[in-house]
Amino acid sequence: MLKITQFFETDVLVVGGGIAGLMAGIAARDQGADVIIAEKADTRRSGSGATGNDHFLCYIPEKHGDDPRLVLHEIADSMLGSNMDADIAMRFLNESFNVVKSWHEWGINMRLHDDWTFMGHAFPGRPRIFLKYDGHNQKAVLTREAKKRGARLLNHHPVLELIKDENGVAGALALDVSSPEPAFTLIRAKTVILATGSGNRLYPSTSTPGMLFNTGFCPGCTAAALALSWRIGARLVNMEIPFRHAGPRYFTRCGKATWIGMYRYPDGKPLGPFVTKATRELGDITGDVWNTSFTDLMCNGRGPAYMDCTQDAPEDLAFMREGMASEGLTSLIDYMDANSIDPGKHVVEFGQFEPFLIGRGVEIDINGQSTIPGLYAAGDVMGNFRADMGGAAVMGWISGKEVAAACANRSLISAERAESDAWLNERLAYYGSFYERKQGAGWKDANMALQQIMNDYAAVGPHRVRSGSLLSAGLEYLRQLREQAVAQLSTPCSHTLMRATEVLDLMDCGEAVIRAAMERKESRGLHQRADFTFTNPLLNNKFLEIWREDGAVRMNWRSKRQ
Amino acid sequence: MPPLIDESKCIRCGLCAEICPLGLFRFDKASGNPPEVAFPDECWHCNSCVLDCPKKAITLRVPLCQMLLHRDVRQLYDAGKE
Ligand SMILES: Cc1cc2nc3c(=O)[nH]c(=O)nc-3n(C[C@H](O)[C@H](O)[C@H](O)COP(=O)(O)OP(=O)(O)OC[C@H]3O[C@@H](n4cnc5c(N)ncnc54)[C@H](O)[C@@H]3O)c2cc1C
Ligand code: SF4
Ligand code: SF4
Repeated sequence: MLKITQFFETDVLVVGGGIAGLMAGIAARDQGADVIIAEKADTRRSGSGATGNDHFLCYIPEKHGDDPRLVLHEIADSMLGSNMDADIAMRFLNESFNVVKSWHEWGINMRLHDDWTFMGHAFPGRPRIFLKYDGHNQKAVLTREAKKRGARLLNHHPVLELIKDENGVAGALALDVSSPEPAFTLIRAKTVILATGSGNRLYPSTSTPGMLFNTGFCPGCTAAALALSWRIGARLVNMEIPFRHAGPRYFTRCGKATWIGMYRYPDGKPLGPFVTKATRELGDITGDVWNTSFTDLMCNGRGPAYMDCTQDAPEDLAFMREGMASEGLTSLIDYMDANSIDPGKHVVEFGQFEPFLIGRGVEIDINGQSTIPGLYAAGDVMGNFRADMGGAAVMGWISGKEVAAACANRSLISAERAESDAWLNERLAYYGSFYERKQGAGWKDANMALQQIMNDYAAVGPHRVRSGSLLSAGLEYLRQLREQAVAQLSTPCSHTLMRATEVLDLMDCGEAVIRAAMERKESRGLHQRADFTFTNPLLNNKFLEIWREDGAVRMNWRSKRQ
Repeated sequence: MPPLIDESKCIRCGLCAEICPLGLFRFDKASGNPPEVAFPDECWHCNSCVLDCPKKAITLRVPLCQMLLHRDVRQLYDAGKE
């Protein structure tokens, strides 16, 4: 049987060393707490911000004026707005400028042209809320700052499970994947911050169905935070409201706002009414507002839709190329160069990507705490607030500060108690069984089967529907799949064992999505119910919470916090 | 498949294997060999290995099915005139 070979204890365990996790670790260390960051890969280059980003949502009083609500209104009108509790958003806004200033001090260039410059994702005549920056070195810089402060980095240690006691969260079980031979690590902690990023690989790739790793966000992020929370009974929220990004095809990659160009029909007519010429200041926001346009055009035969940068001023084209490097799109630049694709001469087809989990997930309060004491969540895993990069940085920072303060009133579980915990030992045996089974199903089988079920029975709009009968069939098929996967999975090394645990995490998320989608008896956004085709105004300001308690699944509608 | 290591340039430092966000490589320093691309079809094509390799020994081969769909813009405007 696979054994625990390493033991650690800490005040604060951060799960995931992406943007939110590193910021949480930095903030908690600044408050004097002892910090371990357990990261699946290596914090220098992991997660969706691995090679860069270039837009940072924030409120800078000298640019926006004294009222942060102005920025709040813009968020509400953006593609980020639907799942937001306003109290969290206000706290985020009020603390965002401090984080921006820290990043600049640490060596991430937040002041292009020596000023705070807001560009992109904006409507003509309205305030701009995305600070344009150069994030190409962001992960190296944040890793350095975390190490400088004495945070302990446990790279190549994906976290598989949380443990709890009567006082709330008490620690976690991680898998050591630094060598092919797997081993377990037990980390006892007073508090845990979940920051594992978005949930990819739940639905098949829209553009390249055979490719599991051709995703807009990092495919190594598989919603672990949501699954870990679900299994120990924390509440998830907004799981049934789907989200899809858009961007170039068939090379799937987010970052569409970095492209300075017009969205056009194949006859050259613009898709949207917002601008007649794209500039670095505005770009064409049609792709955010009419998010389904790309799919609509394929389904009504008027497509495909193109991104056309050929009318840009030459300075804007050069600026876009620099922006792509800041945004981490260097592989795309290299590919375009190698294949003589010139955005000054060629239009590039854009399409909608597959649904993924971001901004639907762990329910938090204004301090970032989940419904389990001592368990916090920050970044793409948050279920009731979303601001992507800015959201990860600032909410990571806030949760790090809060968690350090909370440690004063929390105690560490004893080693004997943790090691004899029944749930921990059950899970050790469960994960170990996949390694010990010498022959059986591969994790890819399981991942593809899950994607098939989600795509067919919990379909996401536009032009695709859900219904009570489809969803309940999907729930049953998912149960069967899980049963078979658990009985058959065989993973010959630490890497494949990690992949298998990712798929099992995604199955838990899939179950939460399906059950919540059954409960939402209306159509809203991309959640289209064939049996409830209308949008119910009574649900306009309601969020659906879902969690596990005493072996049963519970749900509750609550009011959105204004 | 995706990352290709030029063995004549590689100094066997192992950095690519450490930093790959998807854990694609396997590296055994004692063997004296360059890292092995053990899980090629799990590449995200994020370019981290290409950017960080001190010897610029890595290039990415983007699979054909991930081709970037594009057209000469004149085809669009000519279509508009028809
Ligand atoms: C190409 C691209 C461009 C983008 N551009 C922008 C932009 O300009 N502006 C913007 O606002 N947003 C942008 N985004 C989104 C932005 O990158 C994310 O919102 C942000 O990185 C989220 O931070 P996070 O810390 O929540 O997650 P991540 O940064 O993704 O970090 C999650 C971390 O958790 C680790 N992890 C996962 N599971 C486990 C586990 N079980 N145990 C331990 N560790 C685990 C991962 O390896 C990763 O390091 C872009 C995304 C992409 C892909
Ligand atoms: S980073 Fe470059 S030099 Fe170092 S092992 Fe990898 S390929 Fe070789
Ligand atoms: S491109 Fe990214 S995912 Fe692919 S091998 Fe290099 S570092 Fe790993």
